[in-house]
Amino acid sequence: MKTKYILLFAFLFLFSCSDDNGEENYQKIPINYEVPSNFPPLTYDLSNNPLTEKGFELGKKLFYEGRLASDGIVSCGFCHEQASAFTHHGHTFSHGVDGNIGTRNTPPIQNLAYQTVFMWDGATTHLELQPIIPFTSEIEMNGNFTNAITMMKGDATYQKLFAQAFPDGAINSENMLKALAQFMVMVTSSNSKFDKYRRNEVGGNLSADELAGYAVFNQKCASCHATDLFTDNSFRNNGLPINPSLNDIGRYRVTELDSDKYKFKVPSLRNIEKTAPYMHDGRFFTLEAVLNHYSSGVVSSTTLDSSLSQNGTLGIPLTNLEKTQVIAFLKTLTDYQFLTDSRFSEY
Amino acid sequence: MKFQLKNIAAVVAISLSFASCSNDDDVNSNTLGEGNLKLEFDQIYNGADFAFNTAYTNSNGEVVKVDVAKYIVSNIVLTKMDGSVYTVPKSESYFIIDEETEATHLINLPNIPAADYTKVSFGIGVDKEQFDLGATGQTSFLQTAQDAGMMWSWSAGYKFVALEGKFTSSTVTTEAQFKVHTGQTGNDYNYNTITLDLPDNALVRTTITPQIHIMADLSKIIDGTNVINLSDGATIMGGEKLPLITANLSNMFEVHHVHND
Repeated sequence: MKTKYILLFAFLFLFSCSDDNGEENYQKIPINYEVPSNFPPLTYDLSNNPLTEKGFELGKKLFYEGRLASDGIVSCGFCHEQASAFTHHGHTFSHGVDGNIGTRNTPPIQNLAYQTVFMWDGATTHLELQPIIPFTSEIEMNGNFTNAITMMKGDATYQKLFAQAFPDGAINSENMLKALAQFMVMVTSSNSKFDKYRRNEVGGNLSADELAGYAVFNQKCASCHATDLFTDNSFRNNGLPINPSLNDIGRYRVTELDSDKYKFKVPSLRNIEKTAPYMHDGRFFTLEAVLNHYSSGVVSSTTLDSSLSQNGTLGIPLTNLEKTQVIAFLKTLTDYQFLTDSRFSEY
Repeated sequence: MKFQLKNIAAVVAISLSFASCSNDDDVNSNTLGEGNLKLEFDQIYNGADFAFNTAYTNSNGEVVKVDVAKYIVSNIVLTKMDGSVYTVPKSESYFIIDEETEATHLINLPNIPAADYTKVSFGIGVDKEQFDLGATGQTSFLQTAQDAGMMWSWSAGYKFVALEGKFTSSTVTTEAQFKVHTGQTGNDYNYNTITLDLPDNALVRTTITPQIHIMADLSKIIDGTNVINLSDGATIMGGEKLPLITANLSNMFEVHHVHND
């Protein structure tokens, strides 16, 4: 008799679950993230933050949420525009709240789940913590967790999305950052013409110029711009003359080691055609200007990378033909599918 | 008949348990269940009660007036008389002590197994293991830290200790500001663990909530084993002095007494 009551009760409970507030419950619809076959393994640990459709949806909403900023306008997506591989098109430096201007060029957001260290100087080593830097920076979003959490707790859409995205459903800083991390993990660029070439897929035929450029690149650039992610995640001084009005000491700020002065993270070159201007301070507006720097603009200093000072010669010798070929190759890294993928777009 | 037997058995069991209570030694009887334990962090300055905006003279002759004094206490572990330990669940073991906010001086730890405790240990800062997990397990602590001004925004890290104020010395005769912030910098993680012996055991019982009164001598941060001359540089948020300050924290805390009420 007792058993019957229990069963009946259990049945009613199940019934109420499926019928009632189903919208407000955790929705464990996993996203199966596949590492592209030409990529190195993921560095981000998905087991602590399994990707789900609702987690990603929440992360995307947060990424484009102007109300996280003190002025209600400057979202992550404000400076990270998809069509420019999530950089700030044409901006040497970006403007944050109240017209404040930063001192470093907005880096792209792509394939971050394969990186071990973030920002131009490597100020943070965890993808989930990285957003804290622009979110709380007084000259970027000037945001505040308490205000953001209060805003979201009073917003029906966020109430629903947090409940659906996380088992505990809590609207707190941990889940906010985890959702943003899910969005960033998904923002993967792996379908450029070059990727198709590497994977022997349709659309992967490189022209003679592009192939010649790839050969030059492998010979003269790939020691730093390594793997199909085009970075070895190291910090190097690439011989840029120091801009005295900024005197950006780079990696030294983090490590306080003299040997790290003026070193910056080797950036990926994916979608490089779309991410001008170039370098940590956005000083070069064209790829030609970048290659001219490497061939004839490198200046010596105590921390100059040894690869740029070989046999008493500064820089990387490149003929005009080689430069044209390398640029042709670099343009094969443009991933139009990524740049227009509606899953990542604001509207 | 069946029910009667059951009832009799229950009565016997209950009376036996009463008997055991009154007969047995207190260790068994008193250490059943769980209770609470309170840690009080009472700020002092070189043997004197601490107050903001009050001039204190350090051993190097520098006169300081403090206006910010905060630190993160984490990973509390309690040692029992038999040497075994109780570790407060990690997710419930991060606190910010802020001299300015009285309510933060008293940490209440619930669900502590009843026992006689002889030692308490805790970390100053957020341990690397936790930090390396990213957002996982931090729940709202990032928010708490930001509200308390204990986040190093530029590196998405935590300030472990913040001591700020004004000072004068023989070379700095006009009051100048000083700021000492510890935390992860460069290759130094700067987290350290403090272990304190209790002068009297803390007797956690279902009916007794001991309060461990800890004196935190703020002077030791800059005027401890390593004497930091603020005149040589009054903004210390990194560099070679930070590990010296972190080492000083080891001698900053002392248990003054334990209440077993």
